Amino acid sequence: MGCGCGDCEAMMQPYLDGMLSDRELGEAREHLARCAGCDRRYRFEEDLRHFVRIAVEEPMPDELRRRLADLRSSPPAAQP
Amino acid sequence: MSESAPSAAETRRIAEAARDRVRFEEEALGLSDQVFRVARRLAGSREEAEDLVQDTYARAFRSWRQYQPGTNLRAWLLRILTNLNIDRGRRVQRTPETQPLEEGDYFLYNKLESSISDENPDEERVIERLSQNAVVEALAEVPHDFRDVIVLVDIGEFSYADAAQILDIPVGTVMSRLHRGRRILKRQLADKAVSV
Repeated sequence: MGCGCGDCEAMMQPYLDGMLSDRELGEAREHLARCAGCDRRYRFEEDLRHFVRIAVEEPMPDELRRRLADLRSSPPAAQP
Repeated sequence: MSESAPSAAETRRIAEAARDRVRFEEEALGLSDQVFRVARRLAGSREEAEDLVQDTYARAFRSWRQYQPGTNLRAWLLRILTNLNIDRGRRVQRTPETQPLEEGDYFLYNKLESSISDENPDEERVIERLSQNAVVEALAEVPHDFRDVIVLVDIGEFSYADAAQILDIPVGTVMSRLHRGRRILKRQLADKAVSV
C-alpha cells in the first residue's frame, strides 16, 4: 500500500509533472529516499506513461501519406 | 507601358508568396506522422482518423495564410483537427450521466502487485502484467473529455498551454482532466491486466 499516508499518493502526479514547489519537491524526494514502497509506485507510474505512449503507436498508412502529398498546391515534381 | 503588366515588385511578391506556401506545406507534411498518431487516438477508428487527417490538411492548405509563422504549427494543425472532429458530431456519443470509475493513483500498482507471488517485485515485472492491447482498449474506454487531454499531453506530448488552446478550455481544466483521466485509465487497465 505504499506507506499508507495518502499524501504521497496525491503528490505523485504533480511530482512527475514537475508541478511541485521547491519545498514540496524537497519533501517528496526525502520521503522517496526513505520509503521503498512509494518509490516503486512512483517509478511504476513513470514507466506506465512511457508504456502507454509506445503501446498506442500505429504507423501512418502509406496511402494516407500519398493522399496528403497530393493536396499540395504544387508538388515538387511540377516545379522548375 | 502597359497597365496590365505586373510591376517587378508585384512579381517578386507573388513569387515570395508561392515560396512561403510551398514551405508551409512541406513543414506541415513533415508533421503528419505526429498528427496521425494523435488523431488515431482521438478518433474512434482508423478510418475515421485517416479521414480526419486528410480533411485537416485540406483545410490547413486552404487557409495557410492564417497560420502565424514562428508559432507552434503542430498545435495549429491539431486545433483544426479537433474542431473537425467535434463538427462531425462525435460529442453525440457522450453519456454525461455516467460517472467514470476512478480510484486512487496507487490502485493499479497495488492490484498488479498483488497478482505476483514475490514480495516487493521490481516495477518492470509489475508493468509486464499489462499488454499492448489492454492499453489500447482501456484508453478507448476513457470518456472523450478526459481522453482528449491524455492523448494530447501524454501521447502527443503537448504542453498544458498548447492542449488548452487546442481544446479551447482553461489550463486549469486541462490539468484537472488530465489527473482524473489518468486515474480513470488506470482503473480501466486494472480490469485488463494479464492474469498470472
